[in-house]
Amino acid sequence: MSNYAFNSSFYCVIHNGKCQESHLPDHIYFQDGVLICENKEPIEIQLIYLLDKNQSMNIDIYVKKNVEVNMIETKQLEGGACLHKTMYLENHAIVHVFSENNCHNLENVEVQEDVYLYDNALCQCGYAELSDGSYKGIYHYYLDGEGADAKVRMAILSKEKERKHYEVLIQHNRPHTYGQMDNYGVVKDAGRLTIDGIGTITKGQHGSASHQTNKIMVFDSECLASANPYLYIDEYDVKASHAAGVGKMDEEHLYYLQSRGLTKKQAMQLITYGYLKPVIEVIDNEMLKAHFEDVLSKVGA
Amino acid sequence: MSTLVIKDLHVEVGEKEILKGIDLTINTGEVHAIMGPNGNGKSTLLSAIMGHPKYQVTQGSIELDGEDVLSMSVDERSRAGLFLGMQYPQEIPGVTNSDFLKAAMNARLEKPISLFKFIRTLDKNIEELNMDENLAHRYLNEGFSGGEKKRNEILQMKLLQPKMALLDEIDSGLDVDALRVVSDAINSMRSNDFACVMVSHYERLFELVKPTHVHVLVSGQIVMSGGYELVEKIDREGYEWIKELGFELNQEEERKPIILENCGKKETVRHE
Repeated sequence: MSNYAFNSSFYCVIHNGKCQESHLPDHIYFQDGVLICENKEPIEIQLIYLLDKNQSMNIDIYVKKNVEVNMIETKQLEGGACLHKTMYLENHAIVHVFSENNCHNLENVEVQEDVYLYDNALCQCGYAELSDGSYKGIYHYYLDGEGADAKVRMAILSKEKERKHYEVLIQHNRPHTYGQMDNYGVVKDAGRLTIDGIGTITKGQHGSASHQTNKIMVFDSECLASANPYLYIDEYDVKASHAAGVGKMDEEHLYYLQSRGLTKKQAMQLITYGYLKPVIEVIDNEMLKAHFEDVLSKVGA
Repeated sequence: MSTLVIKDLHVEVGEKEILKGIDLTINTGEVHAIMGPNGNGKSTLLSAIMGHPKYQVTQGSIELDGEDVLSMSVDERSRAGLFLGMQYPQEIPGVTNSDFLKAAMNARLEKPISLFKFIRTLDKNIEELNMDENLAHRYLNEGFSGGEKKRNEILQMKLLQPKMALLDEIDSGLDVDALRVVSDAINSMRSNDFACVMVSHYERLFELVKPTHVHVLVSGQIVMSGGYELVEKIDREGYEWIKELGFELNQEEERKPIILENCGKKETVRHE
């Protein structure tokens, strides 16, 4: 079960809701399912979530005012497990999250994340969703303070007979808020993938902007993919955009790379990596980058 | 010495025959210029040699040192020593120039190039071509200006050291300074182990990179071959005189959108 690796010097391993081992810096505490970040200086921590079969747990994370923290999350959940994470970013908090889904499950796994951002809080999150097994991810971001800013980037792989479903919501509940999501997926074999991207701007939230891109690249004839963009806008003075597409790899791109001597396989691999790789850019950690490249080899191509 | 021999090449795009029997022999040490009006098959010829899937060879042969090029895949042609500098290089998001260039160089090496040597070679060439220092970390051609894309093609040519480089309108989108940088780069590659086939509409490129052979391609056929004097004649007289020789021109005029500005100008001219 525990084949996780530490990419950071500070970490906390949470197994079925209990802290299994940890090395946390000053001003960051974990107790009874609650993690509180009050660090004065920007810091990087790694959080590892372990759940046994059919177990569930709630994690609450509080990032206090003006606190800056980089989080590396590793999710390792067994079949039937259910994780519910809630994160609160107080005023001017800055959080970068790289979240790696490292599950190997036979039965479905479900994860719900609710992230609340208050005044001028900033959250950038990269989800590397290359797990083995079916998965349901509901990731909701609520911009509850003026100037709050959420950027979400996803890299998803659905292969073999996996069924994966993602719902990403960014809801603007205050004026002058900014939301952007870029959800990228690759589907192989008989894999299935649905991405629902939802941008909601409620009434009165003028000066807000909601942008989203949902793209899925399919490799094989048995793949099933759907990318659904939704925009619910109840205010006039806003900017909003959406894009969605499902398709095969661009033949002209392949030709270009092949014309420089790369075999078709190498060319496909380079293009697929390029498609998924930007998710790592939320956090500047060389060890993590190297690790992610290893994991990407799963994509094969 | 290497030789590329093209015999009676017929090429179709969709159902339409574009090339109607091309014969051309290129030896290393030579620089060939192919000229001709738009829409007569110049780019098609270069793309067919490289193996673009859109172009169907229906008749004829292409051989490089006796090896059948048409039976090779695109990447095999590249590794055999062919290179196409494209008119419209693709933008590929997410793939960095350095990852791409390293992969392309390694594709023709038995042992992968060391990171140190790669960076040194790349930096040297980037400097020579007067390109953006951050190029290595930028995504392949994404957000590049027209001129940057063309210089990136030349950069690839220099790194890959092909035997035969096919350059499709490599001068379009280049300003005067960039054109000089690019032509210097092409000239620096000239040797007895390198041949180059250039397609361009402008005498300026051929002034800077003097061709040894010049061909005029009209309606899918090479109607005339000669030396540099052909470039000068075309620059002076255009292609109208070809008609007098009994050849039909495939005039494919570029349709320009009618905008108010154009109409306004026409009006002014008429009043004068």
